[in-house]
Amino acid sequence: MTALNRRDTLLLGAAGMIPTGAMAQETPRKGGVLTVHFATEQRILNPSLQASTGVYIVGGKIQEALVDLDNDGNPVPVLAESWKSSPDGKTHTFKLRQGVTWHDGKPFTSADVAFTAMEMWKKILNYGTTLQQFLTAVETPDAHTAVFKYERPMPQGLLLRALPDLGYISPKHIYETGDIRQNPANTAPIGTGPFKFVQYERGQFIIAERNTNYWRPELPYLDRVVWRVISDRAAAAAQMEAGQILFSPYSSLAISDFQRLSRDARFEVTTKGNEGNARTNTVEFNHRNPVLADVRVRKAIGHALNIPFFIENFLGTFAKVGTGPIPSVSTAYYPTSGIPQIGYDVALANRLLDEAGQRRGAGGVRFSVRLLPAPWGEDISLFATYLQQSLQQVGIRVEIVRLDAAGFLRSVYNDWSFDLATGWHQYRNDPAVSTTVWYRSGQPKGAPWTNQWGWQSDAMDRTIDDAATEVDPARRRALYAEFQKLAQTDVPILTPIEQIFVSVFNKRVRNAANNPRWASSSWHDTWLAS
Amino acid sequence: MRALKAFFRSPPAIIGLLLVLAVVAMGLAAPLLYPNDPLGLAGRPLQWPGANPRFPLGTDPSGRDIAAQLFHGARISLLIGFVATSIAVVIGIGIGAVAGFYGGAADTVLMRLTEAFQTLPNFLLLLVLVAVFGSTMEVVTVAIGLVSWPPVARLTRAEFLSLRTREFVYAARIQGLPDWHLIFREVLPNALPPVIVYASVVMAVAILLESSLAFLQLSDPNVPSWGNLIGLGRSVLRTEWYVSAIPGVAILLAILGVSLLGQGLNDALNPRLAPR
Amino acid sequence: MRVLALAGRRLAASLPTLVLILVGLFLLLQLAPGDTVDALMAQMGGGDAALAEDLRRFYGLDLSIAARLGQYLLRLVTLDLGFSAIYGKPVATVILERLPATLLLMAAALSFAFFFGLVLGVLAARRVNRWPDTLISTLGLIFYATPSFWFGLMAIVLFSVHLQWFPAGGFYEIGEGLTGLALTLDIARHLVLPTLTLGLIFLAIYLRIMRASMLEVLSLDFVRTARAKGLTETRIVTRHVLRNAMLPMITLIGLQAGTMLGGSVVVETVFALPGLGRLAYESVVQRDLNTLLGIVFVSALLVIAINFLVDLLYAKLDPRIVSGG
Repeated sequence: MTALNRRDTLLLGAAGMIPTGAMAQETPRKGGVLTVHFATEQRILNPSLQASTGVYIVGGKIQEALVDLDNDGNPVPVLAESWKSSPDGKTHTFKLRQGVTWHDGKPFTSADVAFTAMEMWKKILNYGTTLQQFLTAVETPDAHTAVFKYERPMPQGLLLRALPDLGYISPKHIYETGDIRQNPANTAPIGTGPFKFVQYERGQFIIAERNTNYWRPELPYLDRVVWRVISDRAAAAAQMEAGQILFSPYSSLAISDFQRLSRDARFEVTTKGNEGNARTNTVEFNHRNPVLADVRVRKAIGHALNIPFFIENFLGTFAKVGTGPIPSVSTAYYPTSGIPQIGYDVALANRLLDEAGQRRGAGGVRFSVRLLPAPWGEDISLFATYLQQSLQQVGIRVEIVRLDAAGFLRSVYNDWSFDLATGWHQYRNDPAVSTTVWYRSGQPKGAPWTNQWGWQSDAMDRTIDDAATEVDPARRRALYAEFQKLAQTDVPILTPIEQIFVSVFNKRVRNAANNPRWASSSWHDTWLAS
Repeated sequence: MRALKAFFRSPPAIIGLLLVLAVVAMGLAAPLLYPNDPLGLAGRPLQWPGANPRFPLGTDPSGRDIAAQLFHGARISLLIGFVATSIAVVIGIGIGAVAGFYGGAADTVLMRLTEAFQTLPNFLLLLVLVAVFGSTMEVVTVAIGLVSWPPVARLTRAEFLSLRTREFVYAARIQGLPDWHLIFREVLPNALPPVIVYASVVMAVAILLESSLAFLQLSDPNVPSWGNLIGLGRSVLRTEWYVSAIPGVAILLAILGVSLLGQGLNDALNPRLAPR
Repeated sequence: MRVLALAGRRLAASLPTLVLILVGLFLLLQLAPGDTVDALMAQMGGGDAALAEDLRRFYGLDLSIAARLGQYLLRLVTLDLGFSAIYGKPVATVILERLPATLLLMAAALSFAFFFGLVLGVLAARRVNRWPDTLISTLGLIFYATPSFWFGLMAIVLFSVHLQWFPAGGFYEIGEGLTGLALTLDIARHLVLPTLTLGLIFLAIYLRIMRASMLEVLSLDFVRTARAKGLTETRIVTRHVLRNAMLPMITLIGLQAGTMLGGSVVVETVFALPGLGRLAYESVVQRDLNTLLGIVFVSALLVIAINFLVDLLYAKLDPRIVSGG
């Protein structure tokens, strides 16, 4: 273990000692029902089987992960009390919390961790399967120690930043018999968390109640959490105003409603508490199209977009200009200087297109492209329209091809039948989790949200591979700065807008947004003012 | 001539004609009044009607001129309505004529098919067709035509069933004229008037279907259709309700015009059924 | 017993149509871009290719089209609608959960349209070509021309946002723990606007048909005879005319059952109702073939059942028709 690593670990351990309620000025009140907006129904609620915000918002209160993130984005203990890593990065040992019981009364042990890691994270959990690809075994020398063995070096920073999302533990005794995918606990989860699952009424609501045996003494404060299924944004905004829901997570309301509600004294509309869930809007190019294979054309498209104008007029204050695939909220990896930027400059865009040999033809049109917008998110369809409008100014005719989710994923990532696509790239606290796959060549055909552009760069591939197994945090950071620079130089895809999910709270909700993935976190210290 | 006179004596028919002409005029005037791309960025999004003299009907959530979209949208609605109706009428007449003229096995098979189409909610089939073949204007138009023909087929079949036993058909048959001649030259011309009148209903429904698709964000986003505008306005309904309200009135008036016109034609052609 | 036998025969006669629809839809959806695993991946927010392959195997999507179609039809014979990939439970359960909202909405909209169509149609016919007739007929035309989703949206703006008389969406208040009468009233309150929205166009149609058939019947001989006998006009209408004039309206209900189900897709979307129409739309988008085919199956049965009831009713109202003949 390097000195720096040990210091990191000590600091992290210390951070976890601070009682989480200490920041609040008022005395927390016990009791109350927190009603939460649940926008998209989920097939399963178990976060060790599916990594998505729609699962965390419910499952994250019922099941717990080994670690979580604190207010500054550093890992803090949850089910793991401490951890240490071997210098070669191939062995990571977690000491587990003692005296923790599952909601059905059985004790939580290292066997649960080993089972979940090997059978769920490595085999079923999306992103987990990639992250744990080189995990060979989880040894359990005693009931409260789990030793993760890797075939290749696994940087501790990567593992600890990935585990809050990809490290939820499920009970072995519930899952060990039968098909995991069809286990009834998938929709009626059993965990160690502050809330116990009560009922899931499809299309209507989910209820969880206080776990009276929770391992954090005297917690949680809330009696119950009720998630209301409301798929219609406008209806959700109305319920927010009527006080029928107290919290709407993950940008689930209409953009215009964010602006309206932020002027209302009863509500807080904020990106705080979502720093761990940053995303960038993308412009994905099909490099098999010879016109788009020319970097000058791709840069010209970037220069044709007046992003500050778009943000100001369409997205409001909750977005900012994107500077590369690693967003600025990622304090651990965001490179502060030396990254080329592609600003708004129509004259330059026109010049680059001319230089690329794409001269204006009849009607001032240089060439035509088909743009596929992803069907999620109001901002994506607004941005697609804005792309169409902006590119028309520089002589590129854009035809928008509207597809549903299945059609979009299939057309872009499997059939490669697109010229431009636009959607979101989700950043998950470490570039190796779900960012570098957008740039690394050799992705299996059909894997969504990966490099299916027909673009390959040796320098990029090498940087990504080196960073993935680099155990020294400083060198790793430098490699990702290089990655960001390459991404902004070759522009295989554009990441013009950076966004953080917007939360809307009723101000009665206290201790809200006190960590960077608050909507996903356990809410053990959340309370309601009367 | 008598029918024409009857038509122009009926105020609803005249109102219908005027409304339809107004929509046609809007479509024709669109490129003159709004030569720029109606889908282009015109100004700040969501400006209320009247707030900016440049945009008498305001701007939509994408910063596009609503008035320009309304005028250009008239062309789209008329085009989709007309083409889809033509498709439905051609298929409907084809199937109805064959079923009604030949009867027997052909009739049974074709009517089973018609029944299948009518048992399946037509909007559901439309959703499937658009999901499968994409949301381009061509697909949407053809799909609407494909789900709208069954009533036309039934109507045509009924007309054929009653006409095929008439004397003039017998006379032609005895002369040894081929079936196609009997169908197209003898029976069809007599069966056509009620079908043409019914086409106005099909057209009204076609315009409604397109706008419903657009409302679900399943129509072609590259054309300025009225339904698209209503769908876009949905996310700002609570505050900027005018975005949805304005194109809705346009659809309402267009459909009102088409139905009044159809009813006027019907009354003029079938004086027996005219309102007493 | 006779009714049951009749129902059985009717069902048997509709079977070829039903099979035609199911096979047609099954094949049609094979042409769609992407499958249910793609939709699942979108819902999960990502996953690698091996995971996708694993899921395809799990849901049997790696089999040939013919094999899957054969499997589906075989299961259907035993009335097994299969398993929904997206909802993670049997299709029959998923449909049963969503059926009440749609049935309630359709029944309410139909009753509303039928009742007011009847009343307004009679009123218009009795005052034919005078101002009540003109007013009612004009209203009917406007209702007919109004896009239902637009009417729904405008009703939300007016009655939910500004006047706050009715809720803007949903089936009932969740988490209030309402039961019995309170729950019934709450559901009724939620269904007012959707019922109006869905029923409007049918109201317009019924009103037109009722007016026309009233006029037709009023001019028939037996009415003249009744008048000559000195019966009051109200008595003539309620006793003699209405019964006969209602026949075309009842026929229409049967014809439009399918249309109404289609219309509920849009209305359920506008008002966020957890119904069958909305489920159908979602299952198309999610490529959830089993659920979609299940809905089509159930709704076709529904249409057939409604038509059967209509026929029975028709026979009761019109003494000239002998049921079963």
